[in-house]
Amino acid sequence: MTTAEAPVQTVEEPVRPTPPPAARKLRRRPDRIRSSIAAWTAVAVIGLFGMLPMYWMLVTALSPKGQAFQFPPKFIPTEITFEHFRTFAENEQLFDYMVNSVIVALITAALSVIVSTYMGYSFSKFRYRGRKSLMNFVLASQMFPQALLLITLYAVFRQFGLLGTYTALVLSFTTFTMPLCVWMLKGIFDTVPDALLEAAAIDGASRWRTLHTIVAPLAAPGMIAAGLFAFVRGWNDFIFALTLANKDTMTLPPGLVNTYIGEFQTSWPALMAASLIVSVPVVAAFMFLQRYLVGGLTAGAVKS
Amino acid sequence: MTTAPPIAKSPDATGGPSRGTRGRRMSNGMFAFLLTVPGLALFGAIVLYPLIASLVTGFFEQDLRFPGRSWVGFDNYADVFAGDFAAILEHTLVFTVGATAAPFLIGLALALALNTGMKGSGFFRGLFLFPWVIPGVVVSFLWMWIFNANYGVLNGALIKTGLIEESISWLGEPGTAMLAVIITKTWASFPWMMVMLLAGLQTVPRELHEAAAVDGAGAVRRFFAVTWPGIRGVAAIALLLEFIWNFQHFDTIYVLTGGGPAGATETFAVAVYQDAFKGFDLGHATALGGLWMLLLLVLVGVYLKLSERETK
Amino acid sequence: MSASRTTGARLSGAAGMNRRDALRLFGLGALGVAAAACAPSGGSTSNGGDTKAKNFGFSSWSLNEEASKPEVQKIISAWESSHKSKITTTAFPYNEYLQQLTLKLNGGEIQGAVHLDIAWLAAIAQMGKLKDLGKVAGKGGYTDVSLKSGQYDGVQYGLPWTTGSIGLIGNQKLLTEAGIKQHPTTIAEFEDALRALKELKGVTPYAAATKVAQLKDIFPWMQTFGCTILDGDKVTIGDDASVDAVEWYKKLHDEKLIAKDVDRFDARALFGQGTVGFYDDAVIGKGATLATAKEKGLAEQMVPVPRPVLKSGDQPRALLWGGVIAVVEGEGSDAATDFALHTTSDQATTVEYFSKLALPPTTTKGLADPKVAADTFTTDWTEKITKTATPGPFWAYAKNAQIEEAVAKQVQAVLVGQASGKDAMKKAGEEVSALIKG
Repeated sequence: MTTAEAPVQTVEEPVRPTPPPAARKLRRRPDRIRSSIAAWTAVAVIGLFGMLPMYWMLVTALSPKGQAFQFPPKFIPTEITFEHFRTFAENEQLFDYMVNSVIVALITAALSVIVSTYMGYSFSKFRYRGRKSLMNFVLASQMFPQALLLITLYAVFRQFGLLGTYTALVLSFTTFTMPLCVWMLKGIFDTVPDALLEAAAIDGASRWRTLHTIVAPLAAPGMIAAGLFAFVRGWNDFIFALTLANKDTMTLPPGLVNTYIGEFQTSWPALMAASLIVSVPVVAAFMFLQRYLVGGLTAGAVKS
Repeated sequence: MTTAPPIAKSPDATGGPSRGTRGRRMSNGMFAFLLTVPGLALFGAIVLYPLIASLVTGFFEQDLRFPGRSWVGFDNYADVFAGDFAAILEHTLVFTVGATAAPFLIGLALALALNTGMKGSGFFRGLFLFPWVIPGVVVSFLWMWIFNANYGVLNGALIKTGLIEESISWLGEPGTAMLAVIITKTWASFPWMMVMLLAGLQTVPRELHEAAAVDGAGAVRRFFAVTWPGIRGVAAIALLLEFIWNFQHFDTIYVLTGGGPAGATETFAVAVYQDAFKGFDLGHATALGGLWMLLLLVLVGVYLKLSERETK
Repeated sequence: MSASRTTGARLSGAAGMNRRDALRLFGLGALGVAAAACAPSGGSTSNGGDTKAKNFGFSSWSLNEEASKPEVQKIISAWESSHKSKITTTAFPYNEYLQQLTLKLNGGEIQGAVHLDIAWLAAIAQMGKLKDLGKVAGKGGYTDVSLKSGQYDGVQYGLPWTTGSIGLIGNQKLLTEAGIKQHPTTIAEFEDALRALKELKGVTPYAAATKVAQLKDIFPWMQTFGCTILDGDKVTIGDDASVDAVEWYKKLHDEKLIAKDVDRFDARALFGQGTVGFYDDAVIGKGATLATAKEKGLAEQMVPVPRPVLKSGDQPRALLWGGVIAVVEGEGSDAATDFALHTTSDQATTVEYFSKLALPPTTTKGLADPKVAADTFTTDWTEKITKTATPGPFWAYAKNAQIEEAVAKQVQAVLVGQASGKDAMKKAGEEVSALIKG
């Protein structure tokens, strides 16, 4: 599969096209100008669609409470306040949700990466019967409907008294982070030259040792990237946490729904401020992840 | 598998002295299998078993709140077909097609633009990613506010520019609610399409383009003659993946409309969730889920085949 | 180590599953089926634990609402310091409360005292986790009506905290501005009043619930038009009266006399902005609405209005509404019972609670307190609305919430023009009939 077999690192940042030879360039100047105008127009129009909502989120988050109820609204704010960010910071409950989000997403990422490292390595460096079917199953499993899995997961976790625990959340998040990590890591191990493994073997290193002390360090950046993807996916999860968490383990996405939908659904500025805060870690993570984006994406990394 | 050479047959070239002494040194196949054990155990426990158990539940009458269940055969399926199945399938398809096609077109336009080598394309690419990385719940909150019937900025802007005279209840009318949900999802997914297609475009040799241009091919012809064949594979995968995800998308719809108004945005994901966790009717929910799964499996099968072919 | 060799063969590792692999996967599947057959099949977790523990939990949607949160918190803190114990609180938004409480209760994650809408009592009681409070209920001095609201199937599961009703609240200032001298008493007068209000700029005449969450407000209107809704165990939704009611609602909707996409909280927010003539709410609405109101003078303008009737002389219809505190058996249930009793019947506590939130006490003594008796909004409310209020027709059914939602969805289908009143109510009637059997 293109998507998955393609080693992650081979897909690089967009390459700046090399300028065409001067002679050709001269001949085609009007055409270039036309296409450049078209390009800028597309970017501008789509830019409005993409960025105006973000702008509005920011403006609302900075507006005093009463201003949200002006209609038609003021498109450019005249008054700015940070009170909503302060309210968020002072709200212990929201802070707890945030801590839960961090804990659950971190453990999920760690677990996914560890387990997937072995599985991805096996898929990448060995050939055996059933390997392909397993790989396909892993790839397909992230496309199974979560709502359907959840029905049994809820019953199983209840049976084992795990409802409302971090364990339940981590395990359920793993259903969607593992496939992605396995495929990302397989792609990364594909780029580790086999000659290296052979050399290690000649030096007398065992296969476990080779994996742990030679391959793993080489693949470390990729493992971190896979972990970050898993972290982001865990951070963003809604359906599992909504159903399986209780007040002590609730993460931010369902926590925000529980806080703001209902009685406070009219506190738009506070909700927008909270939304911005929740988005910050994810946006930060993606700044680091840009380089791995395409590989991760094509492995079905992030469900949008 | 017709293809994979049996490991056991490949001589262990580097095994050295340990070769053949099975007691001390396990075979590569064994080693490879051991590596997958933790993963397989997890998958079995949290994906395969739940999936099958859920499907089995579809043949029982079971209330989430009370113990016990009773076998009812295909009754749940009969109920599902007699009930909202057709409507839910229709909503799911409308949503899925809309929320796949629109981001694709936008993403394609953007990828083509950024691929012209315009100034700041790297910066724009990063900026455009934002809508896609922020959590789905946040996306829903944001658009819920934009679409708000009484104080929403969209109504405000449309009234101010004279396009409409009276506020529209975007999320309160069946027609506009589906549109609103699709727009929201489009906003959140076009960046992904952009990244995928941009990656595809970079594999198209520039020289081909230049050559076509020299031959006097117009922009449209060049697109269909040079660009499209070059990115068709990536585009197909991207479309299919997005289609599959939308087919089971939950967050945006659940938060934005909860499937309403009057069930107009009720898709499989929302309906199954609400049947199970609001209606507590597990039999009905899992029967509906079984049909949903069946349709998804077809899509996933197509995806696996397609990506298989792409590899070659 | 043959990594290199095997990778050399990689390119041949190709497509498709052969029969053998398919069989293998199938076998894995069969294993799953076998496991699934002995799957966990229902809630059997018992809440063990020390019933005598001093610490316990308290769940309430009031802890999620701006107006009531500090007041409830005050009661909790007072208890904690006087009993040297710790109360762990859980809050969900009202519209999500029943679902979340059910899921958590089912998973054994909820202990201690739980605040319940009287409409949910039957559904929760049937889960078999609530303690019988019959022995302590006598100590509270509750009024008979209130006491009854906490019973299901003859057992006292809840101690009444609030007993009231859902009725119409009007904005007197707007009514006067619109030239409405007398509160409308018939449907026809009501329509005239709404049209007069519509003339005022930017005013929503009637912020009736049009979102599914509170569309159950349609029931009293159906009754007003003469539909009994439930006659014995026969569902009468779908009869002419119910169709008339829905089509009347649709008329108001089409004439823009009621607003789209509104639930209780939207209605309160709109009313708080001083732009709503009438809306439906419980007596608690006063406190909740005022908490976010723009003008502080709004309090004096809020008036309870008896629901208009079809023919002059009919009895105005209203839906009972109230809250009880129930106790989950198990850990800390004794202390939780004491807490429930104290919160709902302690004179000073209930009167203070009333003075802050306008939620009248449920005890005879509490109601007689001068502070309560002198409040005209409350006494008016009791006199004009609660007096003729009746319980929801489906409260006794475990699937009450699903029934109300099924009806609400059909009503919504009519409002948005997807179905005719007749078809939708027929369908609603059928769905409800199926739900009360299951």
